[in-house]
Amino acid sequence: MHLERYSYFTSNFKAYEFFSEGPRGRIRKLVTFTAIPDTDPPIYNLAFGDANPNTGKLDDNVISNNNDRDIVLATVANTITAFCDYFGNQYIYAEGSTPSRTRLYQMGITNLWEVISADFYVFGLKENEWQKFKPYSGNYDAFLIKRK
Amino acid sequence: MATIVKEVTLKKGFGPPIINHDIESHDDDPVVIKKVEKAKETLKRVGLPDLKKK
Repeated sequence: MHLERYSYFTSNFKAYEFFSEGPRGRIRKLVTFTAIPDTDPPIYNLAFGDANPNTGKLDDNVISNNNDRDIVLATVANTITAFCDYFGNQYIYAEGSTPSRTRLYQMGITNLWEVISADFYVFGLKENEWQKFKPYSGNYDAFLIKRK
Repeated sequence: MATIVKEVTLKKGFGPPIINHDIESHDDDPVVIKKVEKAKETLKRVGLPDLKKK
């Protein structure tokens, strides 16, 4: 991957943090992989957002506008690789809190498609059906990723 | 004269995380609980894709 990313931190390979740096300052970002109950094979939900400055809790409704979207998304992609390195090639489910947030995830996958498609199966949910992810083929409702 | 030192946090390409034992789990954050519940409902409805399907 030729793209820039931020240094990122973890204690247990399920929860990750990094700092976005830009015109709006230094913003603490959180990525967390949570096992979805009653799934067999196991499926993990990927949640991504800012740390609320008051509570420290994950907030995925904030629009940071810190002019570093591609670096942030490349860093999230790194957390997926790190998670799979540690826990194996598990299914990972991702859906934004809003359709525009899901489109942001889609843009991230599209930007990194060359790298991601070499190592990962990626499916997009459209009309209640999983379809093989194709860049620039309309909007998906959610994504499912599994390392090959 | 004061010197401003900017910590370099940008890296290129894929690389491992830095271990920091202060990083806490967010599994119990309200947003995460809500998202996991929604994901569970969606997956119950649509299942998993066929990885071998062309």
